[in-house]
Amino acid sequence: MAWQSNPESSGIRNISNPVELASASAVDMASRAEWSDEVLMLAIANQDQLAFAVLYDRYVDLVYSASYRVLSDAQLAEDSAQDVFVRLWTRPETFISERGRFVSWLMSVTRNRAVDELRARGRRRKREGGSLGEPDEAAEPLFQGEPEDPQLNAELHEEQAAVRRALRSIPHEQRVALELAYFNGLTQQEIAAHLHEPLGTVKTRIRLGMQKLRRTLQEEV
Amino acid sequence: MGASHITQEQADEYAIGSLDAPLERAIRLHIAECSSCREVVREAEALANMVGLAAPLRRAPARMKKQVYRNAGLTRPSPMRRMFTISRAAAGLAAVVVAIAAFTGMVSIKGQMDELKDDNADLQTQINDALSQRVELAAVTQQLEDTRQAAADLQEASKTDRELMLALLSPSSDILAVTAPGEATNSIGRLVWDEEQKRLWFMATQLQQRPGETYQLWAQSGGRYFSLGTFEPDESGFARYERVIPEGLAGYDTVVVTIERGAGSPVREGPTVFFVSSLNLGPN
Repeated sequence: MAWQSNPESSGIRNISNPVELASASAVDMASRAEWSDEVLMLAIANQDQLAFAVLYDRYVDLVYSASYRVLSDAQLAEDSAQDVFVRLWTRPETFISERGRFVSWLMSVTRNRAVDELRARGRRRKREGGSLGEPDEAAEPLFQGEPEDPQLNAELHEEQAAVRRALRSIPHEQRVALELAYFNGLTQQEIAAHLHEPLGTVKTRIRLGMQKLRRTLQEEV
Repeated sequence: MGASHITQEQADEYAIGSLDAPLERAIRLHIAECSSCREVVREAEALANMVGLAAPLRRAPARMKKQVYRNAGLTRPSPMRRMFTISRAAAGLAAVVVAIAAFTGMVSIKGQMDELKDDNADLQTQINDALSQRVELAAVTQQLEDTRQAAADLQEASKTDRELMLALLSPSSDILAVTAPGEATNSIGRLVWDEEQKRLWFMATQLQQRPGETYQLWAQSGGRYFSLGTFEPDESGFARYERVIPEGLAGYDTVVVTIERGAGSPVREGPTVFFVSSLNLGPN
């Protein structure tokens, strides 16, 4: 049984030393590129820098994109995304695989970090008077030909496409309410004030939007 | 949040981040203690975080990686350094192989290289297996913890059932019929008061789940109503509520159940759905 030969939690490092797994060879990177997110996180918990490099390459654009969607500012998004990855390296134990998928946890950390930044810098007030919910399309270019991008795995791409389809299937006003809450960090009261709608209407839109999103994604699966 | 459970709607609102800070804090505190609500909220959070995947994809600046590595205290070997490291390792390996070949004169360099590659591949496989098994082990550990928690919950439920049974059998208990004003409901209910255990039980059937509202139990004493807490029915419409009779109450003239907004009301405001009359609870 392989486990018997590697019983220690520090086994990754203990074994890697004699065969020089810590060296940044292409073979090592390639083998880790096949590991699941959860296995990479275990390796990162054992200070495996190559595992971190693989996870970084796998998700950096996604984290940056979500940060940008919240902050609408390239520099702020870059700072926020950096913090997410530094935390991923310094505190990998905060991800607990039994509680859910890695990508969900990563999105949660990314969103919370960006929204904190948004609130801390008082940018929300500025946005409420401007293009709230519709981020400024600034200098950073959107991906061209995303599906062919080798940096992102096919499964993640498929999932992103499914979520986009699901969101497109939701009535516009419900989708706007969900996005204002998630990406702009607005409470129901704030959304109601921004949209000049009654609070009850906003609550209903969020409830129906989440129901529809849940149903649609379940059907997709 | 009290003893009532979080609704799917509340879980969704929490997960998408649309609740005011006080309610968000209340839910966070509740799910820290309530495993069933925690599961509901986790599912909702997983769904809400899918919204993040829909952000238009942008290419992260290449310089970011360097910044991340620096801030994380990591070192990124330069291409030249990597090449030097690999060359040095290769030179050392070659020297060993040549020495072996010189001594034995029989083993080919290619054979040695293949063996080393095989050994390396075997070790890599073992590492992968070990990592996978650690993940599985962690999952099994969590399952064991869940099972232990479920057993503790069952033990607690068994204890409360035993206490109710004792109250039903005790000659010192009052078991009273609970009636609904009007005939709009077919609910039946009982109120059990046990003088020895100083506890009240309220049970009723065919109650409706009321999002945004809650059932609240009140005792009338000296012309005033005192809240005895809130409760909600399960999915089948059955409710069983239990509490210790507050020491400050000298007695009860009657007990009623009302429907109140939100998580309950400090004063009786909502419509009465059940009442118990001619109730003689405790010394007056």
